[in-house]
Amino acid sequence: MTHPNQSTLALYAGQDLGWFARRRTERHLARCGECRGEVRAFASARDNLVALNELPAISWNRLAAEMKANIRLGLAAGECVRGERTVEYFSPFGLLSSARTLTACASVMALVAAGLLLQRSTPPLQTASAGEGAVLRTTPNGIELNQGGQTLSLLHARSGDVTYSAGAQGSMRAGYVDSDTGNITINNLYVQ
Amino acid sequence: MSNKFAILLVAGVTALCAQETPLDNSVKINLPPDSPLTLISANLGESHVTQRGSAVVLDLDVTLTLHNSSPNRVRGVTLLVAAQEVTPGGKASVSVPSLDVPPSQNFPVRINLRLLRPAQIAGGPLVQVNLDGVLFQDYSFYGPNRLDSRRTMTAWEMEAQRDRKYFKSILAARGVDGLKQAMLESLNRQAERPRLDVQVSRGRAVTSAAVAEHNARFAFLRFPDEPVEPVEGWAEIAGNEARNPRIDVRNLSSRQVRSVEIDWIVTDRQGKQYMAGSVPASGPEFNLKAGSTSRVLQDTALRFSRISNDGGAPVAIAGMTGFVGQVEFADGKVWIPNRESLANAQLLGILEPSPEEQRLTDLYRKKGPKALADELNKF
Repeated sequence: MTHPNQSTLALYAGQDLGWFARRRTERHLARCGECRGEVRAFASARDNLVALNELPAISWNRLAAEMKANIRLGLAAGECVRGERTVEYFSPFGLLSSARTLTACASVMALVAAGLLLQRSTPPLQTASAGEGAVLRTTPNGIELNQGGQTLSLLHARSGDVTYSAGAQGSMRAGYVDSDTGNITINNLYVQ
Repeated sequence: MSNKFAILLVAGVTALCAQETPLDNSVKINLPPDSPLTLISANLGESHVTQRGSAVVLDLDVTLTLHNSSPNRVRGVTLLVAAQEVTPGGKASVSVPSLDVPPSQNFPVRINLRLLRPAQIAGGPLVQVNLDGVLFQDYSFYGPNRLDSRRTMTAWEMEAQRDRKYFKSILAARGVDGLKQAMLESLNRQAERPRLDVQVSRGRAVTSAAVAEHNARFAFLRFPDEPVEPVEGWAEIAGNEARNPRIDVRNLSSRQVRSVEIDWIVTDRQGKQYMAGSVPASGPEFNLKAGSTSRVLQDTALRFSRISNDGGAPVAIAGMTGFVGQVEFADGKVWIPNRESLANAQLLGILEPSPEEQRLTDLYRKKGPKALADELNKF
């Protein structure tokens, strides 16, 4: 089975793929658990990026400008390398037939998409009062407490069977056998 | 060459976005001076702090090596993990039940967490790990018990004794082959146990859909030897959300009860039952004297959906069932349902396995029936 590349999966997770590519990727994801996992990871990373937006210490405009400059630099460098090749590279069909060029274009598109994603207007991190708006939930790697964009997660990486249970007093529990220690370990998160 | 440029560009952007810093004093582990456990080492492995603009991401994967300096065998430990000002009101804990650590021996406890919070919050360690409780073989307890660890670990230990006794009786009656069969049945139950994705929030925070709300009544399962009986109970249901469960319970015993936990099963429209969670009641306001009635009440919302990689579909709640899952008396002793009662009520296929059953089946799966038989014969 041929898997979509990372850029395609990242763009899919961000809902930034075109219609045709999206349909093709959806068809693949329907039968490939590994790629579904990749998409989940990208979506999770994207959530984190969304939560990090609007932070005062980073100038996103400057970052975007630097990214654009770097992209131009990369394209210019590519042109330098291609300078002594035959004229067929200047033909649109010849350009598209080069696997390297296609890969480079996909990478640049992924970068541009990432830049756009970083520039999206999202709510800043908030300071919430105790318990206000706090949500406990399970994630593929553990249990998570999310409040105003701040998160605390207890993870159970590298462990197979995990049992979850919720407490109506505002708690979430994950129990698993730790693959390193061999001990049953029970992670708990609480909202008060 | 184009690929190389793309990689360089990605690396450049990543470097601009995130900057790793050493852990320094990000994690502090506090054990009281009179603690029966002493810290031998804290292996931080690949733990790291990443600065992302004005936010900090802490990836902590620490294995603590603790030493049992008490004269008793340790059966369980709970560590309270406090993440400074992040998620106000939020706390975490890591418990390791089903231990059997003799005096003067070391044992590991692993904590694996991720924390995302603003960096501008005033200094001090990002995460503090404190001892909340230690349970010993004779059910004695040490610790501040801020998380009600004494009750929880005592119940786990009682479940462990109950399930070890059950599997040991099979081993004695039917040998290793019988034990193997029992393990396969347990593994099968665990694999086929219906599960839902549950989100928990205080109050009405997770409410999203404009769905008609109604009060739904609990049906109750009863056990012959239960010291507390559920009388009646209600919860507000709106689509796939259940809120504010309130259950009246009566103390049938002659002893004062300090806390009660009602286990909560929801039924979907196809009649399939799922373990939803538990409704505990404890604390000074919950005082259940012999023969008296009190109310178990929680201001919480639970939202149910199917387990799915892409966000599962909501599961509408068609019915609710409750049963008494745990009772703690004023003297610290705990009652749990026996295995026969659970089997008779056909709950073994719905409830999650006890931590000890989970550990034993994992041991069987990894090391085989002989290793499991040796483990059961230890105590």
